[in-house]
Amino acid sequence: MILAIVDPISFLGWIPFLQPAGALGNLWWLLMFPLILGISIAYRATHDASIDQFWQRVFMFVSKSILAMGSLALVIYLFVYWVIPNL
Amino acid sequence: MTHDNDQLDEPLHWGAAFFGWICPGLGQIMLGHRRRGFLAMTGVLGLFLCGIFIGGVDCVDRREDPLWFYAQAGAGPIAFAADWANSGLLKSGKVGELIESPPSNPRAPAPLVSSFKTVTVASEIGTLYCFLAGLMNIVVLLDAIKRRPIEKDESNEGAKA
Repeated sequence: MILAIVDPISFLGWIPFLQPAGALGNLWWLLMFPLILGISIAYRATHDASIDQFWQRVFMFVSKSILAMGSLALVIYLFVYWVIPNL
Repeated sequence: MTHDNDQLDEPLHWGAAFFGWICPGLGQIMLGHRRRGFLAMTGVLGLFLCGIFIGGVDCVDRREDPLWFYAQAGAGPIAFAADWANSGLLKSGKVGELIESPPSNPRAPAPLVSSFKTVTVASEIGTLYCFLAGLMNIVVLLDAIKRRPIEKDESNEGAKA
């Protein structure tokens, strides 16, 4: 399913910064990773009393956030495709 | 508790907050927290530029998406620059073409929109990136307002020693 995806032709005419990226297909959710990374860098830079081991803390923050969102997505998927049809 | 009281006694650094709005992280840098400021700058500007990269300058639109723009403006003048680029390049037709779009009111003339304007997932996600960059810069600004300047810390430690 995941490999059904991106149409590379749609990226050929893409002008970055002027146009939206071409059809991302089913891979749009991958854009969550840089989003969480940016948020965690800004958050960790201001929240922690010390910025020693900054990148380790950012990595942990990103990992936990992705795990939490992935778990939530799995729960919703099971609810929609398995629980509701069997009610 | 004593630490909290110390923090409450600290003066508010409105100047640092202002310069932090002009350029994300600059407030912390002015207070002597250079590394912290550059990291905050990386996070906020990285989010904003990624948003524009993914969704194009149309992600920032003061007139058509004012509610999104209020938060995006938290990222500073870069948001106004993106809005200016959107108006000056795309909406004016200097880049791309202006094409008629279906009017919401059949009696009204068809509005002209840029051929670069699309309603895609990439456009929505770009808007979200810029929105979150603005909100995160407000967090960074609030931190700059209350953060203790590093020279003062050092002098306090010297006094205690």
